[in-house]
Amino acid sequence: MEKIQISHIQLFMLLSGFLFGSTVIISPVQEAANDGWLAILLGGAGGFLLMWLYVKIALLNPSKTLVEILKERMGKVVGNILAVFYIWYFIHVASIVFRDFGEFITAMTFPETPMGVIIGIFAVLVVYVLNSGIEVLARLCEILVPIIYIAILIISLALITVRDFTAFLPLLENGITPVLKSAFSIISFPFGEAVAFLMVFPILYKEEKLKKVVFSATIVAIATVLIVFFRDLFVLGSGLIRRTNFVPHLTTLILPWFNVEPLLDITLMIGGGAKICICIYAAVKGLSQIIKIDDYRSLTGAVVIFSVVLCIWSFENVLELFAFTDKVWPFYSLPFQVIIPLLLLLLSFRNKSRPSKQGAQTQTGQKESNTN
Amino acid sequence: MINIRNQEKTANQNKVQNFIDSREPIPERLELVKTRLNEIFSGTDDFMYREFTCGKNGSIKILVAFIRGLVDKRTLNQEVIRPLIERFSSEEFYTPAAGGRLYERFIEAVINVDLKEADTMHQAVNSIVSGEALLFIEGEDKALVIGVKRVQGRQVEEPDTETSIRGSREGFVENLAVNTTLIRKRVKNPNLKIEMMKIGQQTKTDVCICYIKGIAKDEIVKEVKERLKKIKVDGVLDTGIIEQQISDYRFSLFPTVGNSEKCDKLVGKLLDGRVAILCDGTPFVLTVPYLFIESIQVTDDYYDHAFFATFMRLLRLISLLVSVLLPGLYVALVSFHQTVIPFKLMITLAASRQGIPFSPFIEAFLMIIVFELLREAGVRMPRPIGQALSIVGAIVLGEASVAAGITSNLMVIIVATTAICSFIIPPFIRATMLLRFVVLIAANILGFLGIWFVGIAVLIHLCKLHSFGIPYMTPFAPITSAILKDSFIVVPYWAMITRSGAQEHVEENSGSPDQSNNNKPGDENKT
Repeated sequence: MEKIQISHIQLFMLLSGFLFGSTVIISPVQEAANDGWLAILLGGAGGFLLMWLYVKIALLNPSKTLVEILKERMGKVVGNILAVFYIWYFIHVASIVFRDFGEFITAMTFPETPMGVIIGIFAVLVVYVLNSGIEVLARLCEILVPIIYIAILIISLALITVRDFTAFLPLLENGITPVLKSAFSIISFPFGEAVAFLMVFPILYKEEKLKKVVFSATIVAIATVLIVFFRDLFVLGSGLIRRTNFVPHLTTLILPWFNVEPLLDITLMIGGGAKICICIYAAVKGLSQIIKIDDYRSLTGAVVIFSVVLCIWSFENVLELFAFTDKVWPFYSLPFQVIIPLLLLLLSFRNKSRPSKQGAQTQTGQKESNTN
Repeated sequence: MINIRNQEKTANQNKVQNFIDSREPIPERLELVKTRLNEIFSGTDDFMYREFTCGKNGSIKILVAFIRGLVDKRTLNQEVIRPLIERFSSEEFYTPAAGGRLYERFIEAVINVDLKEADTMHQAVNSIVSGEALLFIEGEDKALVIGVKRVQGRQVEEPDTETSIRGSREGFVENLAVNTTLIRKRVKNPNLKIEMMKIGQQTKTDVCICYIKGIAKDEIVKEVKERLKKIKVDGVLDTGIIEQQISDYRFSLFPTVGNSEKCDKLVGKLLDGRVAILCDGTPFVLTVPYLFIESIQVTDDYYDHAFFATFMRLLRLISLLVSVLLPGLYVALVSFHQTVIPFKLMITLAASRQGIPFSPFIEAFLMIIVFELLREAGVRMPRPIGQALSIVGAIVLGEASVAAGITSNLMVIIVATTAICSFIIPPFIRATMLLRFVVLIAANILGFLGIWFVGIAVLIHLCKLHSFGIPYMTPFAPITSAILKDSFIVVPYWAMITRSGAQEHVEENSGSPDQSNNNKPGDENKT
């Protein structure tokens, strides 16, 4: 198979698209209401740390995917088991984004269309783009992700006249607990889910730019989430934010003169699409590395279908989905997003310091494990 | 020399035309030559040969064979045959004892005309059919190919397909030699390489690859040559046939090989690192690699003010989107997303749609079909009838159909706008035409979401396309800042320091012209 590489701009776009994901329609800090910006800043700082963790792991294990790192650092059996869990996790993330998307479209734009149809067509596109190759996805994101920024800019500027800039007062009305809770959930969604990028980092053309790209994408994502949050807060006020399912959508409805609902659909499809594609790619790539086949393309269809079925079966309705993502998801993701990566980092550090003491011996050992 | 070698290659591939063995020698006896030629050219009445003698006592017998009409007889007579007779009649020029082969002395005697040697009967016959005269000499196993082709055809004139406001009016013609001269005239540089080859098992058409060494990437040139060599067809009547054979994606609606009739445009492409493929008998020259962005680039952009050019580029890009999306958007708006339409426009819309028997989709579909019919009829008809046709189309189908209450006014406006926009970007006319229907159908099924799904699918396809190893959407995806200067933004010509050539995104430097000095002139220079 020819070597596939993506440029640092493409990685930036992929990561930005991923971090937006469904945050375009679902406010991650609903619980904190008017103190959400504090939660975003705190969570953003936590997310930044997580990103540093992932980058560090990637830099300590150059040109290796997560599955390869797991196998190398944890041993073959434990590594493979953990890799299978990770693949499950990626598919699960993809299925939740699928569901978010389907719920939004059926709730807002096409109330009479069955959700399966919309998710199904979306899934066909996902299979098409992934089977065309990850570099095609990267190019697609290069064209489409800027549209998200443009859309946010248009919506935000159009609403500049209908704002109440004092809406974020009073500070910490309900104490610090909801803020911390929200901050915790924002760490896992969207930042922690970027653990899937450990499967993508190895194909970056210039590895030395990895750190810069990831951090700038994270900062941009935090800034944009903050802008979107302030816009929604100033327009809607804290009461409405707490009671709405799709906060940004309600904001756009208030826009005078014009209805920009399609614009929101588009941003959701871009962000969600990027996220689903990356997750499915991470899953199929990992799967192909576990079962040792060269080309992941034969697995894409099956994995996508599984993910679609999962997303339809696992929740009865949108409330159940939200309850799950609110209450269960952060804790459920904790081992995947924090604990195992931390363990990997420690193991990587230990292995890195060992060659300096024992010299060539471990290097040959590493080579052997590579060939295995 | 390369000519002869390629002829041999095509002869080896040639299974149909095996009446001459490619290694058959030329008989030394003129009588044998005559019988052999008569065999080969039996039933070919425009084939002729003449015998004459020269030398002191008529000691040298010569046979000249050619095809009537292809050869300039006057030149043949005055520049070849007369000097031969005159010079060989004197003793001091021709002494058999002086050594050397006779045909070598012949080449010395004739200066004004190209002379080449033919070693086999196969080469000789090929030269005759491609319009050269053949000179057989009694007692020699080699024949002389005399280049006295008669050049006829159109004068160099402004091409109809691509007109420009500023810039050169010279367009290519059907004659390959004239076309290469036109290019040479503009690029006075030995690095401009013109390599000839023959394609077509029956027609043996001259095809030539043209590029500037040092600017065009070597891999692309090599790839082009390899793909051209793989072509196996009976005849190449137009570069369109070559285009289909060398395209990366044969089923794609979007062209991955460009064509042009304009000389200055082609030279601009060569300077951008493209490789041109010229073919005898057609004024259309192919350029590869061809990228998406080239469809909205026009030579005028570079001669004009940069701001204006930028505006025009944006306009063209928008017109591309409009010509594909507009009917679909209208249908989606009217049938699904009435809430998106501002209230006042909604009232106007409702008023204009009052009493229309068809759904917006059927209405749009019918109108677009009618427009496509008109367009096709207008292209195929002779020009005066075509004009009458367009009047009929505009008045009868526009005005009358609205008056009859079959379509709404707005629909006519929309189809007309779509039609105008689709003419702005000629390379994509096929793609936009078909995609318009796809978008229309998708819009009728899923509204904006349907359009969006189709749009993404097309975009994925575009991102997937390659043209000779270069991603099709290159300046946008992958973003290449060097080329972005010449995309929908046009910077002034003096600011275009880097070439907008076909570089890969991972590459740092853009193949500076100095590199050409390091390269030794290769063997392929012989043309």
